[in-house]
Amino acid sequence: MAAGPSPEALERLRQTIRTGQGFGEQVSISLGVPSLDQRLGGGLARGALHEIAAAGPVHIAAASGFALALAVRARERPKATLLILPDLVGYEGGCFYGPGLDLFGLPAARLVILRAPRMRDAMLAMEEALKCRALSCVIAEIGADEADLTATRRLSLAARDNGGFGILVRHRRSAVASAAATRWTVAAASGPLDRFGGIGKTAFRVALAKNRRGSCGEYLLIWNHHDGTFVRAADPVGLAAPASDRSDRAALAVAY
Amino acid sequence: MALADARARFPSLATAAAEPEAELRLLETIADWCDRYTPLVGLDAPDGLFLDISGCAHLFGGEDSLIRDLRQRLMRQGFHVCVGAAPTPGGAWALARYGDRSTASHENLRDLLLPLPLAALRLAPETVASLAESGLRAIGDIADLPRAPLAARFGTTLIRNLDRALNREDEAIVPRLPPPSYVVERRFADPVAREEDVLGTIAHLAVELARALERHGEGAQRLQLALFRADGQVQRIDIGTGEPLRDPERLRALFDERLAALTDEYDPGFGFDVIRLNALAVARLDAVQTGLGGSDEAAELAHLIDRLSARFGASRVQRLVPNETHIPEYAMQAIPVQSLPFPLSRAAKGKDHDSLIPPRPIRLFAHPEPVSDAIAEVPDGPPVRFRWRQSLHEIVRAEGPERIAMEWWRDRQGTALLRDYFRVESRAGARLWLYRQGLYCDRGEPRWYVHGMFA
Repeated sequence: MAAGPSPEALERLRQTIRTGQGFGEQVSISLGVPSLDQRLGGGLARGALHEIAAAGPVHIAAASGFALALAVRARERPKATLLILPDLVGYEGGCFYGPGLDLFGLPAARLVILRAPRMRDAMLAMEEALKCRALSCVIAEIGADEADLTATRRLSLAARDNGGFGILVRHRRSAVASAAATRWTVAAASGPLDRFGGIGKTAFRVALAKNRRGSCGEYLLIWNHHDGTFVRAADPVGLAAPASDRSDRAALAVAY
Repeated sequence: MALADARARFPSLATAAAEPEAELRLLETIADWCDRYTPLVGLDAPDGLFLDISGCAHLFGGEDSLIRDLRQRLMRQGFHVCVGAAPTPGGAWALARYGDRSTASHENLRDLLLPLPLAALRLAPETVASLAESGLRAIGDIADLPRAPLAARFGTTLIRNLDRALNREDEAIVPRLPPPSYVVERRFADPVAREEDVLGTIAHLAVELARALERHGEGAQRLQLALFRADGQVQRIDIGTGEPLRDPERLRALFDERLAALTDEYDPGFGFDVIRLNALAVARLDAVQTGLGGSDEAAELAHLIDRLSARFGASRVQRLVPNETHIPEYAMQAIPVQSLPFPLSRAAKGKDHDSLIPPRPIRLFAHPEPVSDAIAEVPDGPPVRFRWRQSLHEIVRAEGPERIAMEWWRDRQGTALLRDYFRVESRAGARLWLYRQGLYCDRGEPRWYVHGMFA
């Protein structure tokens, strides 16, 4: 009977392969959703470029919001976050609004906004910024096809060599090949409601379309702007653990 | 003589309309060029320049050779030049225009000026004429006359100008450009034109400047690179830094960025014969012990911001600071990061209303976008559907209104800028910040605008 390889040996081999792919000692940014984190190999890789596209013209703010939520997850005190917004994109999609960002979880005190005159300036600035270790996240918003394989490759290399965390937000979906580590398509979704008939929580329907470290899939994520966490809509959340002193009582489940 | 008369006598007479503004511009260009001799150049419109060469002349081998060099170079550019040098601006003015263009020293200033006509004292023609009526024609005629009667009859200007010319009273030259705190420069026998040479020179100059700054424990906050083209044009490139800086590598990197962004305007022509680096504004910068573990992150961020500012302009690298107002557009103001470096005092976090989503959008349009065909179920309620950017949006959920009016101390009637804001969600999932302008009972159809987008 041939003994199968031990789990430790398998894990060691996986580690070797990851190192070979350039994801060796790199830190990952956990999204706080276990199933998604596992699929991403522990979370979104720092030292890499990630790409987010809006599913349609009405979903631009959702794509931007998802990128900002990732920036919140990636925050490291006292590092700053850089948002790069070309003039044309700012004209079409509006400018970043400080009070809104503050409430969303990204305090304006550690935020730098670059209003790039042209799209290619945004690429250039992003490459420079990804080399800077004092930034926890660099987000650049572009139209659709401005960043091609060469550009994204350059950005990926800059991020890899210096541990930068870059997010490229495309305002329209693009068929252009990209060197990004992950690609997402984001659409706005109706979040869970409360009893008072208002608008539901901020929610994103995200499709992971490319993932270097695992398989793809679709998720409905709910953003909690108070504590900066994602929750997967399908998961039963808010589940209180059974009280240890009253083990006869069932756990109390609260929807969302 | 009228132009027609002159033309009748000399049919071949060449004429051109006077262009005082163009002439002033030309004079300023020449003044810029004269910067190569001294940082203190004053304009004496319409046709003169003052150069304060005290302390600079020895760099050119003395006053005489400086004047020779200046005259030769300007003549080669096609100008006719008269130069006078004296211990006083007034004396130099007189010697250049009425003297034999010689150089006066403290000892022979008086001897050289006394034979000159009175017009050499920068007087109005009427004053000169009335002095001539009294038989006073040369400076020597009035130099030792009793002062009080002279002043009473011909005005104090005469006495003041006389005193200034003869070094009895001080006169300062008003420089055109603020004199820099530090200046380092390179002069070339043959002009350099290649960009690499220019960048290499800047690197050398940055090291020199850093050494000078370090000696005084200072760092540069505003820098200027002056490129003197061989044909007389001077290009000035200004750069600001957020925090005082003297690291030569970083100084050089800033100019690299700036020159790279300037590709179109940067024109070496026949090359530059002087390249100069000025520190216009400096601030105290003490040496800091650097850690063993490599570079400091705060400095790295400051450097990135400086480079981005150098390339795109300081006003494009922004940070947001809160304002004391509830008007949405003005709640946060974008200011250049360089004008207020990190860290900032804690921003006051906005109030979280009883809403599941943040009550303020993450994106705000600079100009609220009007929507058409807005239909509301009840007069002061949110619209059920509306058309925005060529597509129909059907509202499934709405929160509001949140009434935002102009601050009462600015608007007594309380009617200007009255807006009822709604947070709405469309069937497609888009969440918008929508407002109605004015009260519903106001005359005319209510106007609706999209002001922002929620995530």
